[in-house]
Amino acid sequence: MLSPYRVVDLSDERGVLAGQMLADLGADVIQVEPPGGSSGRGVAPFFADRPDQSIYWAAYTRGKRGITCDIESPHGRDLLLRLLDRADFLIESSDVGRMARLGLDHETVREHHPQLIYISISAFGQSGPKAHYVGSDLAIWAAGAPLLMTGDDDRAPLRVSQPQAWGHAAGDAAGGAMLALHARHQSGRGQHVDVSAQVSAAQATLGQILAFSVGAVEPERFGGGIKLRGVGIRGTADVLDGHVVVTLAPGPAIGHFANHAARWLVEIGAADRRLLDEDFVTYADRAAAGRADPDLFPRLQQLMRDEVAKRTKQEMLEVSIEYDLLLVPVLDVVDVAESRQLEARSFWREIEHSDGRRVTYPGPPLQILLDNQPMVDQHRQPPTLGQHNAEIYGELGVKADDLMRLRSEGVI
Amino acid sequence: MSLPQINLPRGNGPLADVKLLDLSWIVAGPTVGRAMADYGATVIRVESPTRVDTARIVGPFHADEPGVEQSALYGNVNAGKWGITLDLRVPEARDIFRRLVQWCDIVSESFTAGVLQRWQLDYPQLRKLKPDLIMLSSTLLGQTGPYRSVSGFGSQGAGMSGVQYLTGWADRPPAGPFGPYTDYPAPRFALTALLAALDHRRRTGEGVFIDQAQAEGTLQLLAPALMDYMNGGPEIERRGNDDPQLAPHGVYPCSPTDGRSESWVALAVATDQQWRELAQLIGADPSLNLDQRLERRAPLDDAIGQWSSQRLASEVETALQAVGVSAHALSTTEDASHDPQLAHRVHFRRLPHALHGETVVEAPRYILSESPAEVSRPAPMYGEHNELVLTRVLGLTDNEITALAAAGALS
Repeated sequence: MLSPYRVVDLSDERGVLAGQMLADLGADVIQVEPPGGSSGRGVAPFFADRPDQSIYWAAYTRGKRGITCDIESPHGRDLLLRLLDRADFLIESSDVGRMARLGLDHETVREHHPQLIYISISAFGQSGPKAHYVGSDLAIWAAGAPLLMTGDDDRAPLRVSQPQAWGHAAGDAAGGAMLALHARHQSGRGQHVDVSAQVSAAQATLGQILAFSVGAVEPERFGGGIKLRGVGIRGTADVLDGHVVVTLAPGPAIGHFANHAARWLVEIGAADRRLLDEDFVTYADRAAAGRADPDLFPRLQQLMRDEVAKRTKQEMLEVSIEYDLLLVPVLDVVDVAESRQLEARSFWREIEHSDGRRVTYPGPPLQILLDNQPMVDQHRQPPTLGQHNAEIYGELGVKADDLMRLRSEGVI
Repeated sequence: MSLPQINLPRGNGPLADVKLLDLSWIVAGPTVGRAMADYGATVIRVESPTRVDTARIVGPFHADEPGVEQSALYGNVNAGKWGITLDLRVPEARDIFRRLVQWCDIVSESFTAGVLQRWQLDYPQLRKLKPDLIMLSSTLLGQTGPYRSVSGFGSQGAGMSGVQYLTGWADRPPAGPFGPYTDYPAPRFALTALLAALDHRRRTGEGVFIDQAQAEGTLQLLAPALMDYMNGGPEIERRGNDDPQLAPHGVYPCSPTDGRSESWVALAVATDQQWRELAQLIGADPSLNLDQRLERRAPLDDAIGQWSSQRLASEVETALQAVGVSAHALSTTEDASHDPQLAHRVHFRRLPHALHGETVVEAPRYILSESPAEVSRPAPMYGEHNELVLTRVLGLTDNEITALAAAGALS
């Protein structure tokens, strides 16, 4: 879909997913790294057989082309500016102030590249009292507020064990870039898109970031569930081989799922048929008015826990599909890798690397039909360091002997 | 006879020509429509009059009072939209829906896979009405595959994507992330693709169908952990706040303020230089390298905790940031509402509201230097714009609307 557009991607590990999202939609994305390689190539985990090769970097550069360019040097800066002549987007995630120091900030670059959409990803945004704060996954998660809401109530708050904050910011960067593209269709001009990872992280509070502002109580953390007015409500249940996520509540939104659960319990003989006489869609109002048994719903919950505990994750998933329950297993990494659903959707893709290794990657995040035909995505290996130097600098008209010279001078 | 169409007031911004029919609900789908409304799109949010949007019945609630018009979550993901109610189980409502499809550019929906098919309103059918339609179908696990019909919220998505399992302490069952996690990454992927689809249609005239499995969006954010296992590496387990390449790294207790029961600071040391700065403050050995710090994680965490618990989180944050160490107090929502950085970005937007006097929504998650977002009005109340949309967009007469209501299409 985005095949007419070129993205010059200067991001490091902090924004590298944004360019990949555009590449997955067809854009020509050129990852630009310093001659010594991006700091992102040093981020764990690493391929078991290649301790110097970052899986993190591979995961988010798939589908891009790659060049090296020392943008700190005058020659390198000139090369980058030539590359921008034919670019639609620039993505960068440097420490705030670095691009200005190099004379490569939006203000400077737009003079000769007014068409360019310039996307900056940073921890707190390009200006403001915390713009120069040192960011990190954990600090951003703290500042955006999801961190305090997550974890067991008797221990310190928790992050997700695979860092998430920069991924959320990169996702917003891709969306902001596309909004700026539509603005360019109107105005003919590019603009600056300023993404703050702190603000992106606030998305992960389910709107609770607004609690104080509208006069609601502060959310409290509760492992495996939520806490409402000091009362913990578990959203998970034990099964023989782990846990399931289960949502069971009366009411007009999801009470029908409680009816489905009642039907399952009756059909397996765990509950009396009279349970089917109750309609949990309207139950809560009637129970509050004294016209339904207030103990009935708690009994349903307990019966569910008892029966679920006798079964495995996979058994409960099958029950959930057959009876339409709000219940799924808590899958571990092996379960996800072996998921029949992901297999049926051809989610995992093998890519043969130039050294002959076959590496398994996630496929694109969406399945897309263009004019009712499956979109062909660009599935190629992540670029090795400087892999497309000759090709891309060649397109700019840099001659072979100049390339040699630039290489010997350490510019590329 | 129908009245001539006079349409809805136009928005301003890069998407002013775009019309979105938003049948999605809760968070993942509505967030996409909110973002488009911020930049000028005309968005009609269609709700079921009988099955209440869950976002309306979970908080945070205005003045902490539950109620279907009280939710700031619903308000946050639906601001700027027009709201109508249609009971799609009623044939007359489905006729209205088909007419709205011909009006719009994009349909966004998040029914359980198969539901629209039963109503003959799925993409193959709608494409016959409008060949260049752009449509987003967003569900937990996608439109195909053996588990396509699994119902659920993003909490179920968290279970199915592995993020529930990967959030917690190594010695305890998974704590899981806060709320329906797969609802958070999903709208980023969907919005980007829908805007790309509009661009594609503009150039080619082709329609686009997007099948989103929300769990697969979260898998993109977990990709390194999953790829590690799938390419011969270890099975990653949850590990509290530990990081394989950062130490010290964690959440440390601070001295609570204002009668609060707890207070915490997050801290991440990435380099030896940062460690030397921190070590000086807490009185530890500044010469330790990363391997040594990883090895002595527990005693170092204790030493930091003893130091931090004597101090306010804001003091620790300021002191560490001043010497180049990443640290931030764990914000409560009250802290966030006073945060000078969020204030600098005007993140909390106050809007007049018919019931609450005033409501608050978040600003967009990016600032476009030349295309400021405009949150034109608060989220619609239940069915607030039924008459407006039916008369202005479809040109229905009062009698036709009365007939629709009598058929049960609207309530």
